Amino acid sequence: MASHIQVPLPLPVVPDGWAADKDFKATGRLSAATQRGIEPVGPHFLAHARRARHKRTFSEDDR
Amino acid sequence: MTAESVTTTAPAERYAIGIAFGNSNSSIAVTSTDDKAEVIANEDGDRQIPSILSYVDGEEYNGQQAKQQLIRNSGNTVAHFRDFLGQDFKSIDPTHCHASAHPHENNSTVAFTIQDKEGDEKSTVTISEVATRQFRRLKQSASDFSGKQVNSAVITIPTNFSENQKSALIKSAGDAGIEVLQLIHEPIAALLAYDARQESKVSDKNVVVADLGGTRSDVAVIASRGGMYTILATAHDYEFAGAHLDKVLQDHFSKEFIKWNSIDPRENARSLAKLKLESEATKKALSIGNNASFSVESLAEGIDFSSTINRLRYETIARKVFDGFNRLVEGVVKKAGLDVLDIDEVIMSGGTSHTPKIAANFQSIFPESTAVLAPSTTPTAINPSELQARGAALQASLIQEYELEDIEQSTHPAVTTVKHLTNAIGVLSISGEEKKGIFTPIVTAETAVPARRTVHVPVPKEGGDVLIKIVEGGSHIKVTKPELKPKENGNKDDSDDSEEDSDYEPEEQREKIWRVGNVLAEAAVKGTKKGGKVEVMINVAGDLGVTVTAREVGEKGGVRGNLSAP
Ligand SMILES: Nc1ncnc2c1ncn2[C@@H]1O[C@H](COP(=O)(O)OP(=O)(O)OP(=O)(O)O)[C@@H](O)[C@H]1O
Ligand SMILES: [Mg+2]
Repeated sequence: MASHIQVPLPLPVVPDGWAADKDFKATGRLSAATQRGIEPVGPHFLAHARRARHKRTFSEDDR
Repeated sequence: MTAESVTTTAPAERYAIGIAFGNSNSSIAVTSTDDKAEVIANEDGDRQIPSILSYVDGEEYNGQQAKQQLIRNSGNTVAHFRDFLGQDFKSIDPTHCHASAHPHENNSTVAFTIQDKEGDEKSTVTISEVATRQFRRLKQSASDFSGKQVNSAVITIPTNFSENQKSALIKSAGDAGIEVLQLIHEPIAALLAYDARQESKVSDKNVVVADLGGTRSDVAVIASRGGMYTILATAHDYEFAGAHLDKVLQDHFSKEFIKWNSIDPRENARSLAKLKLESEATKKALSIGNNASFSVESLAEGIDFSSTINRLRYETIARKVFDGFNRLVEGVVKKAGLDVLDIDEVIMSGGTSHTPKIAANFQSIFPESTAVLAPSTTPTAINPSELQARGAALQASLIQEYELEDIEQSTHPAVTTVKHLTNAIGVLSISGEEKKGIFTPIVTAETAVPARRTVHVPVPKEGGDVLIKIVEGGSHIKVTKPELKPKENGNKDDSDDSEEDSDYEPEEQREKIWRVGNVLAEAAVKGTKKGGKVEVMINVAGDLGVTVTAREVGEKGGVRGNLSAP
């Protein structure tokens, strides 16, 4: 999506003693998802179907 | 019939249009070279073409001309038939065909017996053939308008059309020489028509499409995510629609007529037909003006009748029907597991959506932040009667260059059934503690994956090392009951609202609150500058694996990490 959402409130500072390999810590996984049908309509769906059929990611698609 | 019947056309030979085919009206739309959709008029100059066929001495009439035949030639006039396609006779509701040709059973399908040729002989015309004749007329009108032979189309259908209804529709159109490129859902077509406007931004929003037609009202709640659409819930109603508003006016004017003449015009078929047509015209006039006239020559027993009604009176006598629309909309939002506060946009579609009071009622159901898109509430609203055909035309222009096989592959459940997030994924501001941090969603619930979203978050005033804490969030509604205040009676100027005043209650405050759930990841972006901003990107793969990247806007480097799929 072209324009990015602007969050109004500032990020917190890193707490004292916080440390992580390469500054990134994975602490969880996503909750289970629901299977639903997307409507095969519109330009963005077409892009999705193209990616799905050619097994391409967003960034591959951007190029 | 076989001569014009098509199987498939090569993409290069296609000329495709969008068709909305309702029980009451049909409309046809084309896209211009700049990809704008336009609803086109038929030879009578109508953009809303009544879905009616009528036969006089073997000649076929369609649209408005056929509608007029409901007065004198109702037995040879076929109306309100779309929903019969692909159905058993036992499953259809023939209510709206009382004053036109009656449907009957014919070899497990539905047919009409009408005199459609010269002479006295009657023929039995199946529902499939009736629909084909309607499609032929639409195809002809569109071909005449554009000077090119129309041979394919995208056609809109209700969300509750069965597989049988779909294949019957495809066959009927095919027999008229129209290759159906795709059937798309009516509310999705309406949404696409709005989203295709130049000024529309791609966003994540929850949309209610209220399609209020002539014989049915259909409402859908749609999760619209980055231009992809998922239907969360639908509701269908056959008790509250445009025809029921006509009936309110019919009864109103009949009573007035009885008062003067002691004759009930509803008891004579021809008088009733005139009443109906004029009631509909009066109803439409009331969508624009504050007063409308009702006038019929020789309404019953040769007596002319004319009267007027103002909008307020109409809104009072039609209240039961209007309330039905409200309940339908409120019900489907609940059914979707959402609250009115979760709805960003209400798209009003279908002819009845022109009615100002209905749009005003919807505005009062939803919070002020919800945009109600109707002619009376939004100056830039698209004509609700044209949304579906426009959406269909836009879709037609998107896919007409593809082979039918490719279209079918892309619309296959293997491609369209995907995982949707149950919770929002967001970032904490102010504090990294789950209890204190303020949650802002980056990817919202019900987003189909794969999905990618980016937000910009400011750093604290002095800059420095900042924490990006990525968490799941669920929303809930917090209700605060205000203390009872004595009723204010100062405002007496608006006596029209007296009814609403009497059941005035102090309004409870309702707000949407985020509850932080699962903590997914923590990352640090170090040494940010004073007044800087951090760009956070979340990429959720089809298997729910997540990639988080964060970097200071305008700087190189940053952090990147992965969460494995659950
Ligand atoms: N300006 C208007 N104001 C109020 N009602 C209107 C207006 N224009 C059309 N209508 C009503 O809208 C209804 C037709 O709506 P629409 O064309 O969307 O129906 P449809 O989808 O073909 O019908 P159905 O619901 O029977 O399948 C009719 O009852 C008509 O009187
Ligand atoms: Mg409709």
